[in-house]
Amino acid sequence: MTKDEIEALTFAYLECLDELRLAEWPEFFTETCIYRVIPRENFEAGRSLCTISAESRGMLQDRVTGLTRTQMYAPRHYRRFVSGLRIVGAEGEGLRLRSNILMVQTLVDRQSEIVLSGVAHDLVVRDEGRLRYRERVVVFDSEMVPNSLIYPA
Amino acid sequence: MDALPLAPARLWPADADGRVPYWVYTDPEVYARELERIWYGPHWLYVGLEAEVPEVGDWRTTTLGERPVIMVRSAPDTISVVENRCRHRGVKFCQARQGRSEQLICPYHQWAYALDGALIGVPFRRGVRKQGGMPPDFDPKDWGLNRLRVEVVNGVVWATFSDATPPFRDYLGEKFWRHYTRVYDGRKLAVLGYNRQHIPANWKLMQENIKDPYHAGLLHVFFVTFGLFRADQKSAVEMDEEGRHGILISRKGEQEVNDVTAGMPNFQADLKLADPRIMDVVQEFPGEETVGMITVFPSVILQQQINSLTTRQIIPKGPGGFDFVWTHWCYADDTPEMRLRRTRQANLFGPAGFVSADDGEVIEMSQQGIAPAPWDSALVTMGGREIADTQHMVTETAIRGMYRYWRRVMGL
Repeated sequence: MTKDEIEALTFAYLECLDELRLAEWPEFFTETCIYRVIPRENFEAGRSLCTISAESRGMLQDRVTGLTRTQMYAPRHYRRFVSGLRIVGAEGEGLRLRSNILMVQTLVDRQSEIVLSGVAHDLVVRDEGRLRYRERVVVFDSEMVPNSLIYPA
Repeated sequence: MDALPLAPARLWPADADGRVPYWVYTDPEVYARELERIWYGPHWLYVGLEAEVPEVGDWRTTTLGERPVIMVRSAPDTISVVENRCRHRGVKFCQARQGRSEQLICPYHQWAYALDGALIGVPFRRGVRKQGGMPPDFDPKDWGLNRLRVEVVNGVVWATFSDATPPFRDYLGEKFWRHYTRVYDGRKLAVLGYNRQHIPANWKLMQENIKDPYHAGLLHVFFVTFGLFRADQKSAVEMDEEGRHGILISRKGEQEVNDVTAGMPNFQADLKLADPRIMDVVQEFPGEETVGMITVFPSVILQQQINSLTTRQIIPKGPGGFDFVWTHWCYADDTPEMRLRRTRQANLFGPAGFVSADDGEVIEMSQQGIAPAPWDSALVTMGGREIADTQHMVTETAIRGMYRYWRRVMGL
């Protein structure tokens, strides 16, 4: 696994979400996976409760089903800004990554605002000939979500 | 050209129980009176869970109405709730979310308070080398932190600013005492975690949302489709005698096409979950109900929705917004499987919830429509104009009940 490959995965992931190609999003994860968006307060106290959690690609697909078929929300755009992407360790065949993430949302007639500021703890593995996230845990500092967290981080 | 009136007339519509004027959600003077008569008046306010401060010296900060407070275990069997405002010069001295300490100390001039709020230390009180110091009439006994009345009821900490508030059980009334103790039955509770969101809408819209079963079976396609809350299911709406507290009760059904779901434009008979573990529901409470959503006026919603148990605290921030704090909890003796089940089901709730995100969004949209039109009013006549318990969910009766009580307390 090269640094270039990891960068390509990261950029493809961000582009997929920024461009709202939601149906492709679960494919970035292994069949069994851990996906969490969790407030810092819970994470640091070792509490299990997440704002969004999934344990399989299927659960991520269900998130997409919710976003596209069952949920009601005002239209908006999210843009994700990643910095400090780095390899922090190896685990089995995979690599542990760390990066900061900022998500900015823009709603109709409104100024852009930060919806989430946090750090991503990722475990990336090679799976079916491509790199995938086996774990992605986004720990967010933001104390008060500006109403809703609609799209994934 | 006629001049516009400077202040909107706070007139209640002639159809008194059938309409709610929009100025109740926007007028700063009305909001100021709400703080005084409702939030700081004779009502019990949700503070937190006893399990959040297990050891003497453990404290946690929160806000009641707009006033910051500290919930602290001041003795092995005592939880105190004191205002987070130094009696000296008003500093909100405790800034952390939580901690443990032997005293509560203001950083400005190091005034020190015991855990129960008593003032125990004033540096240089008697001056320095016979110069300065507090005057002889200064008695520390008069300058403790403002202490609220507190009741800890089956694991939940309640506080009130008013001496006139009746005991908590009387405040709920016997009917709601039974609803409350169905879930808060005396077993020890444990915290699973928190979610916090700011919803830019008047706080009463959140109370209305959980007093309104009519919307739940329409707006929430997830609920409707998977049969968690739907108009064809056996259900009920109940209120206390004052009309201020409410409960929505329902029983889970199946994902089926029938005469009722056929009339729901949003019902999706073909929808399947790729990983249905989120809907692995077990019946854990007595009776056949799977949902019991209690609104305890004015500060909290007590949620039992399948196996997801939360308190949703309302912290008003002016007429146009409130903070909404979700505490997800479990029983302390839950198995790991049960904790996992509750954690999974939490995906339905909170700011990213399959269901609850709909509510935050729609009440923000309500405020956007309401705020520029204070002369207009909402129509709340679904189910008639009566204010009475019902055995169905096609009603806005509990909204009518809350406003009848609200008008009486507010003198409006």
